[in-house]
Amino acid sequence: MSASASFVRRRLRALAVGVVVVSVVGLVAVIDARARTDAGTLVRARNAAIARATGLSELALSTSSTWLRHPALAAPSSGAADATAGLDVDPAGAAIARQGRGPTIDMHREAP
Amino acid sequence: MSRALLAYALGAMRRRAGRNLAIGMGLAVVVLAFATVLFASEALRTASQRYAREAPSLTVERLVAGRASLIDVADVSRVAAIAGVRSVEPRVWGYLYLAALEANVTVVSTRDVGPLDLGASALEDGEAVLGVDVAHAIGLRAGDRVAVSVADSETDADAVPVPRFLRIRAVLDRESALLAGDLVIVNEATARELLDVPPDRATDLAVDVFPPEESAVVAAAIVSAVRGARVVDRESLGRSFELTFDARAGLLSATLVPALLALLLLAWERLTGLSDEERREIGVLKAIGWSTSDVLAARLTEAAIVALGGSLLGLLLAYEHVFVLGAPLLAPALFGWSNVRPALVLAPSSDPLELVMLLAAIVVPFAGISIVPAWRAATVDPDRLLR
Repeated sequence: MSASASFVRRRLRALAVGVVVVSVVGLVAVIDARARTDAGTLVRARNAAIARATGLSELALSTSSTWLRHPALAAPSSGAADATAGLDVDPAGAAIARQGRGPTIDMHREAP
Repeated sequence: MSRALLAYALGAMRRRAGRNLAIGMGLAVVVLAFATVLFASEALRTASQRYAREAPSLTVERLVAGRASLIDVADVSRVAAIAGVRSVEPRVWGYLYLAALEANVTVVSTRDVGPLDLGASALEDGEAVLGVDVAHAIGLRAGDRVAVSVADSETDADAVPVPRFLRIRAVLDRESALLAGDLVIVNEATARELLDVPPDRATDLAVDVFPPEESAVVAAAIVSAVRGARVVDRESLGRSFELTFDARAGLLSATLVPALLALLLLAWERLTGLSDEERREIGVLKAIGWSTSDVLAARLTEAAIVALGGSLLGLLLAYEHVFVLGAPLLAPALFGWSNVRPALVLAPSSDPLELVMLLAAIVVPFAGISIVPAWRAATVDPDRLLR
């Protein structure tokens, strides 16, 4: 066996070992992820029952600028009360009744 | 690619082990940061969307001076009379400050504990189901009794608070903490007592609409029927949170882009300055008959192994960080609201394609910048390179 062939073989063996190690670690990670994904689906289904029973569905996420839980329900415009780069939690589709029953004068501008 | 070429690339990697290790670790850290944001935001988005589906079709609140106020229970009949409304339930929920914890917990009433899998019987007066974080913070287990100071608007401000005893029927499991870690679930009478909500008032009305597609129409009708109403639509809530997760994850990723650019710049600076030894190496390869494309292929292989190795390591670390350790580096940014902080128990929900794109966004430019100096050297006459 020539020296160069031995050199090539040694290098490729090292690469093969590396590839096997990475593949095994990757495979373990994929199996673990699969198991966690399946378990997560069950956990979410179980937790959904709590959301159904209480009617409160918001996650306990916030920033330090507010302590409010379920802010979308608790505070209109809560998004604006949060940090500039924070979580905008005010539901965009909230319908708000106008004041009074008569014709609206919102944004009415008198001529000078 | 020939075996010799691959062997040469591996040998070159080993000769420049220090530099390659430093760049590989840098890539691993950048991928760790990006993948942490991706893993966590996707997992949170999936959970949020799932739970949002369980919210009432419409939630009706009353605004006074632009703030949410207690709603009149008499409004139930007005809402129930609207076509498409299947049921209306006045709900009592709110925040209760527990001085011992220096934190607010969320007290919420429920009529039906069936979905909680706690047996068929409804909660009795003074009975509570606790979220795991509240129970853990106070040190309570199922069957314990605990005294809670009740706010009472009828008594003087300087009167001694009256303790109300709660019997703990059950404690929710740790996996529910992100949704319900701070909850104190009681029946309506107990909730009214704890939160000092009079019998003719409720926090809001939970409205079930059928068919659900009519929600927008029913919401408009409710706004007309109930003065000062604010109607939160379940579909809008879900869409709003989806946009929020997009925006927040995007923003966080954008803040990481300079780190990636800095790393690529550093790699560019390190890789463009070919050492004399590297130039001589390329000269020798050219002199013994390697073509320019062979030299580039060897260089590309070396860069790809470093980039892929670093990126996969970063991806693995991010996975461990988010799903095994509970994202300890990210959690402080997500739980600013209270001393009662839930454990971040997340399950993987990322699309494999997103991971491939993340890797491509880092590996491809890195490999690209690594072959430029090699190409410049490989196109020079070998004689000049060897001098």
